Amino acid sequence: MYNTKQKILNSSIQLFNQNGVDAVRLQQIAEDTGISVGNLAYHFKNKDAIVESVYEYIFEEFSAILREYAVSTAMTSFDAQLSSYYDFFDKYQFYIADFFKTNNTLNEHQQIWQGYVTKMLIQIKSRIDYLVLNQDFIPEPMSGLYQQVAENIWTNLIFYIQKCRMQGITPTEMQYKLAIWNQLRPYFTESGLAEFNQLILPIFSY
Amino acid sequence: MNLYSTIMKKAPFTIDNATYAQLLKGLNEMFLSEKKGNSNDFRLYFDDLWLSDTAVIDDVHKSKGEWVVDLVFASIHNPLKFIRRFIVSHPCPKRAAQKAHFMRRLAAKDQRGTLEVTIEQLNLCQN
Repeated sequence: MYNTKQKILNSSIQLFNQNGVDAVRLQQIAEDTGISVGNLAYHFKNKDAIVESVYEYIFEEFSAILREYAVSTAMTSFDAQLSSYYDFFDKYQFYIADFFKTNNTLNEHQQIWQGYVTKMLIQIKSRIDYLVLNQDFIPEPMSGLYQQVAENIWTNLIFYIQKCRMQGITPTEMQYKLAIWNQLRPYFTESGLAEFNQLILPIFSY
Repeated sequence: MNLYSTIMKKAPFTIDNATYAQLLKGLNEMFLSEKKGNSNDFRLYFDDLWLSDTAVIDDVHKSKGEWVVDLVFASIHNPLKFIRRFIVSHPCPKRAAQKAHFMRRLAAKDQRGTLEVTIEQLNLCQN
């Protein structure tokens, strides 16, 4: 069961996604939640407080995704993490759009966010390193290549949904995940490919 | 900004990127070392399973000026399958006999009662 505070956050996230953070007024949030503005003011002092809470909520959720790495490095675990990434970036698009608004210095939230996405990139590189170590991946053909691959995957993970919307396509989770896996595919060894075919491909077949 | 808010604004704990990468590397190695084992890794356990069906015989003999206590574990199904293990040695024969007695009793403890082998099981040929 959600309490009012959670309800307010949920509708704020939805409205931020639809209209952008700046365009949303407190009145709208209150209407969407189904409470009075007075009640809203009881829970959150002002809009900044709501935005602050939303960001905290987002960061909490993103750290939960990052923590999934510690569970296992197996391919299935990476696939599960991809699903989590899709859910996250689908739900919080406004957040990325926020980055393009201003070119001047990053604010506090953006700095924290920058820390998170850097960790995300390090994780992807680390997963590739593990695959190489486990002989599922061929040894790096030229130095720096896997760093490049990791960065491409990272870009895809973050911007794939935006890219699809720009093209006028409705993205699906399967397309999203397949786009990532296909980027990794050329580097599999025979045993890695066998494992991939056995564990990951069946997910896409239905 | 008063003192209270200065304290409350303390930056959250962070680690730098190099440390984080190193941490993940450690995790990777941990995952590799925690691979599933082979079933024949337990061979030694199955190899020694026959020892639970053995009779224990104590053997006290003189060696190098001392009385040595050995225990012989002989399979109750085939007494010719046995192992001998050195337990303890003592300069006094009585003490050695006492130790042999207690060590045998300790080793021969079994839920089914003390297991024994008899001379008939050896199938000796008198020709």
